[in-house]
Amino acid sequence: MFCSIKSPAQRRFVRTCWLSAGLVVVFAFVAAAAFRLGHLKGLLAYPVAVLPALPILWVLIETGRYLAAEKDEFQRNLMVQCLLGGIGGTLAVTTVWGYMEDFARAPRLDLVWVYPIFWLFVGLAWPVVYRRYK
Amino acid sequence: MKNRLKILRAERDWSQADLAQRLEVSRQSVNAIETGKFDPSLPLAFKLARLFGLRIEEIFEDERS
Repeated sequence: MFCSIKSPAQRRFVRTCWLSAGLVVVFAFVAAAAFRLGHLKGLLAYPVAVLPALPILWVLIETGRYLAAEKDEFQRNLMVQCLLGGIGGTLAVTTVWGYMEDFARAPRLDLVWVYPIFWLFVGLAWPVVYRRYK
Repeated sequence: MKNRLKILRAERDWSQADLAQRLEVSRQSVNAIETGKFDPSLPLAFKLARLFGLRIEEIFEDERS
């Protein structure tokens, strides 16, 4: 995500993101296997279904911690602008798609895609924001 | 905001990386401040002033004044 790691806080955040991405994959496989083999139902189904979301929640918390820990205010400013790009892009896509679903019978967009869409837009915002300060 | 960072740096024969190290920020941050694309916060401006032994207004120019 970062072109080059500039601070210990960034290093820690990037490490967290990679670890979380790995955990999402592992937990998704575990949850899928548990539902396929265990035929989970009732109250037990909820915590197992939530399992892949836990590393994602962890990254969201770590994003806030990164912003608090980053001592380089310029780098923090870049990150905030990219996050705003991510939020704006995600809101735009999901809102437009929602209306397309409602009125034009567009295929249903599963909510699990909201998080990847958000980071996709953060990633797209990064070079745009960086270029502004070159 | 216009500033004299480049001149002050040159007087001391410091590179952007040298100044960044002294300020504990990235070289990119120094470049953005130097080129007037990013205005530093008051704490960072004071840090710069202390480093160069000057007052903030001797480094940064208020374009409205």
